[in-house]
Amino acid sequence: MSAAQQVVEQAFRHEYARLVAVLVRRAGLPQLEAVEDAAQAALLAALTDWARNGIPDDRGAWLYRVALNHLLGEWRRPALPGDPLAAVAADPAEPFFEAEVGDEQLRMIFVACDERLPQESRLAFALKTLCGFSTGEIAARLFTTEANVYKRLARAKERLREGDFDAQTPALESLRVRLPSVHAVLYVLFNEGFLSTHTEHAIREELCDEAIRLTTGLASHPVGAEPATFALLALMHLHAARLASRQDASGGLLLLEEQDRSRWDAGHLREGATWLERAGTGDVVSRFHLEAAIAGEHSFAPSFAQTRWGEIAGLYALLERLEPSPLYVLNRAVALAEAEGPQAGLDALQGVVPPTWLEGHYVWDAVLADLHRRAGHGELAMHHCSLALSGAPSEAMRRALRRRLRV
Amino acid sequence: MPKYIVFMRSQSSKGPSGSNSPPSPEQMQQMFASYKAWMGKFKDQITDLGDKLKPGGRVVSATADGPFVESKEVIGGYMIITADGFDEAVEVVRACPAAQMPGAQLEVRELSGAKM
Repeated sequence: MSAAQQVVEQAFRHEYARLVAVLVRRAGLPQLEAVEDAAQAALLAALTDWARNGIPDDRGAWLYRVALNHLLGEWRRPALPGDPLAAVAADPAEPFFEAEVGDEQLRMIFVACDERLPQESRLAFALKTLCGFSTGEIAARLFTTEANVYKRLARAKERLREGDFDAQTPALESLRVRLPSVHAVLYVLFNEGFLSTHTEHAIREELCDEAIRLTTGLASHPVGAEPATFALLALMHLHAARLASRQDASGGLLLLEEQDRSRWDAGHLREGATWLERAGTGDVVSRFHLEAAIAGEHSFAPSFAQTRWGEIAGLYALLERLEPSPLYVLNRAVALAEAEGPQAGLDALQGVVPPTWLEGHYVWDAVLADLHRRAGHGELAMHHCSLALSGAPSEAMRRALRRRLRV
Repeated sequence: MPKYIVFMRSQSSKGPSGSNSPPSPEQMQQMFASYKAWMGKFKDQITDLGDKLKPGGRVVSATADGPFVESKEVIGGYMIITADGFDEAVEVVRACPAAQMPGAQLEVRELSGAKM
């Protein structure tokens, strides 16, 4: 993919996802690749046309028309019986009514999370098709290589070509079993914005907003309105409240203890608190309930120093029980170090062997560097510090790490 | 005995942003405290998003039973009950005060039991 294409994809990510969702609904899932090409072509056309003629009032309708023409043009050949494109040609009406598009996107997410797709492919596929992420962006979020993401996408598309997939017909209600998979996709989408590898603040904010918008749609629809969805949404709002304050005036990343808490977004905090209230029902505690509680501990603490780190460490321990993950151990170690001192953090990591995907990831080394530095282990601190800095995904992250690690 | 999950729906589409008045910082602290209290009560029942639902189900409403639920409605909560078959589950649900509320609809779905 060229650099120009990448720029277009990022800037029009929202439109891309809408176009793909709506066109796949009309053309059928087996036509996915043609639909993706058409969406891409429409966005590229927009780049030149809008620069010359100005941005049209209804960008969505303009893009839809161009994408549809592209799709029909590509397929203008002797019509095969049952040509799915015939249906599109027969009904080229513009479906850009917000409600319909919202439903199509929700449906498309459920389709991407089909349990017949290999599990590791679902996430990559959804991020590519629904959100327009590049393979590089997906690789960074999923802690894997671009080649691996490419393989996962290829496997997903291979399965989809087998044919009996259901982009067209299923009622959303019947797709409810895929909810956990959908939650996972929305969660990663949000984190791509929140913890982003992008340096552009606007793009990160857009991803977070996008995840919140989709999750709000899910929470307001019977198919997804359940406590775990509410907890996920609370989690997103509580994190999003801190998004703007994570950057200083020159665009650098600010550490939690450096942030001005009065700049936290009051609207997001209120939404977060209110969704938490709705999430606290039933008798099942999901992973998102626990993570929302951790976000709440940070959001509702009066200051960094007054944060209840012991509570947070306990919540991470619960998460480990639910789903053993070295990332949870790592976070628990960070919380323990704040609650009881750096040695407690190091003790928690004692004997933990990071899996290959985490070993050599900058987060792992950054935590070890920080804990060793505070515990006075100069040599070990320097060792992990240089690994963390060389692995950091952006210059902004490297600068924040240097401040934290005092190097 | 099979287990059933009962979704409690209401006609209201009021989301948090549409609620009466935005909570004050003190109220938010209180809301968070209640949330933590709720979690403390159930923290031994942590599960990753519960069970799969079998397709199909029955809907119990104040007026008539039917297989469909209007998409404008919002699930207000759910409960899990054990019953000897759908008929008994529906009976239990009918007796539930939530089913008597005007506009209330409760959807009963059998859990597949795969995780139990």
